[in-house]
Amino acid sequence: MAGSTAPELDEDGTAGPPPGADEPVTATRVDVFKYVARKVGSLVLVSLLVATLTFVVSRATADPSFLMVGQDATDEIIAARRAEMGLDQPMYRQWASYMADLVRGDLGLSRRTFAPVGGEILERLPATVELAGAALFLSLLVAIPAGIRAGLRPDGWIDRLVGSVAQLGAAIPNFWLGLMLIYFGFYWLGWFPAPTGRGLFSLESEAVTGIVTIDTLLARDWEAARESVRYLILPAVTLASGVMPPILNVTRNATVSVVNSAYYEAALSFGVSRRVVRMRLLLPNIAAPVINILAITIGFLMGGAVLVEVVFAWPGIGKYAVTAMDSSDYNPVLGVVLLASVTYVVVYQIADLITFAMDPRLRISR
Amino acid sequence: MAPSKVMKLSMTADRRDTQRRRTRLLRAAVWLRRLPRLPTIILGITFLAILIGPAIVPHDPLQPNPANVLEAPSASHWFGTDGFGMDVLSRVIAAARLDVGVAVAGVTVGALGGSILGATVAYTGGWIDAIVQKAIEVLQSFPLFLFALALFAALGDNTFNLVVVISAISLPWYVRVVRSVISPLREAEWVKALQNAGASGPRIVIWELLPNATSQVLGLFALSTGLAIQVIAALAFIGLGVQPPFPEWGSMINTGASFLLQGAWWVSTFPGVAVVLVVISLHSLSRFFDAETRGIG
Repeated sequence: MAGSTAPELDEDGTAGPPPGADEPVTATRVDVFKYVARKVGSLVLVSLLVATLTFVVSRATADPSFLMVGQDATDEIIAARRAEMGLDQPMYRQWASYMADLVRGDLGLSRRTFAPVGGEILERLPATVELAGAALFLSLLVAIPAGIRAGLRPDGWIDRLVGSVAQLGAAIPNFWLGLMLIYFGFYWLGWFPAPTGRGLFSLESEAVTGIVTIDTLLARDWEAARESVRYLILPAVTLASGVMPPILNVTRNATVSVVNSAYYEAALSFGVSRRVVRMRLLLPNIAAPVINILAITIGFLMGGAVLVEVVFAWPGIGKYAVTAMDSSDYNPVLGVVLLASVTYVVVYQIADLITFAMDPRLRISR
Repeated sequence: MAPSKVMKLSMTADRRDTQRRRTRLLRAAVWLRRLPRLPTIILGITFLAILIGPAIVPHDPLQPNPANVLEAPSASHWFGTDGFGMDVLSRVIAAARLDVGVAVAGVTVGALGGSILGATVAYTGGWIDAIVQKAIEVLQSFPLFLFALALFAALGDNTFNLVVVISAISLPWYVRVVRSVISPLREAEWVKALQNAGASGPRIVIWELLPNATSQVLGLFALSTGLAIQVIAALAFIGLGVQPPFPEWGSMINTGASFLLQGAWWVSTFPGVAVVLVVISLHSLSRFFDAETRGIG
């Protein structure tokens, strides 16, 4: 939505600050190449530091070699095992090989299943993406129209209602809400299936994306698609309840600041119709903060889905991390943590670039 | 001549002091009256539960009763009993001490450390400021709950580490907020005057600069305590930090989960309601402090 309205910002130019007389003449265009390069540099640096932190955590957990050699191991066996795992190397060497492994996508082995963590995460990723995507879709569907409505009339009844709902949503622990929804939706009303993750139906259609709902739709297997959505609704609503409040607040506040601005007032007093004013002035001007909060939300969803996945036995990476944590198997936990935070960093920087491309004001440096 | 004059001066100073104290008390009273009422009452009740809760609970929160398992809410058990026959109301009250106590303890440590660090780097500026800012950015790119999970993996699973985890996740918020409030003041005339008068760096940072962020820190304190309670409950829900027989809201919700599908809704519901009430009150208190800040600014 925001992307399509971007060019209009350029044409009418109303979004920019009024060109004041004291504006420095030295205002130049930002070198786009330099800007992108700086963003990418920052992205690489932050990802590197994030990975270093997980490296520190992985070395702070108990030495895994003892657990792998059995009870009657001699010191020699332990030493050999440690050498084999590279744990006798100096720290900077261990760090370097950790990073090299990461670049190759090697997240280590699970101590429980002895399978590579990278592969296990990849298997479960589609389920999490499906859940997070559905939750994001739901929250956008509600939060953006409701936030704009609320912001158009600050302190009106819609604003108050929306405000209370947002407050409640932010205060309710979403694992608890999930349980309550299971009680009412499944036990009480019987409208929704039992909380058994993706359900028991086996997928007959071919797995193209791994995302069950999309695969069943692609295969035109309407019956399975319907069933799949039935399983998806409660967890998606639960997850959405947690991520909706910030989107709602940001949309509402951005709308309020546009509505209170001089250019909005001026356009209305010139007799420009409400519809046109909203489409061409309001939407482009709230796009930047909304895209920013969306990026934060997407980053949050990866981690925020953990408890919802546990409650609904959803077969995603969050449940995988918690199950591993239960048996002190830390590589999967750190793998998921790393994936979630790097995703967040990347999405956030991409959002910055999108805002940069959309908003001509950012292209001028003073 | 001289002594009487000194006497007189000290007397007026004394009277002015009492007067000032009175105005201050009066102001405090007026301010207390302006606090949002319902949230203050809920938090007051929570505070009472922490202070004397275990003494006033109707039943022993740790006493199983095999004869009374999963009894629905009734006159003798207002919130019903759980799978071991323990009284849910007593456990919800007793849990306040751990949930709110650990949250406040952890957030206090994070707030003190974070505020001092934030004010210091804001005052120092330069490369130290840049490094700390980058470090905060890195820490904040971990999703909150997963960060807590990783810390538990590194430190080990016990209640003391719960405090450590809470302070570690709250510290960056305070650094960020305090730094942003104090950074613009670095170049202020009055700060330069203090420097020229020979005030030491730590003195300026702690006694002169930090108080400027008081209302922001108070607002953040209420907000982050609420978040901390949610994180503690969430961790306990998956079995980290606090172990089941011990009364804690998150672990109670977890033990109740298996009874939901037998129709016993009360075991999970009431501790969740407690979390929601306390957190929503803290949030509205935080908004009150924020509005206060904007009113002054």
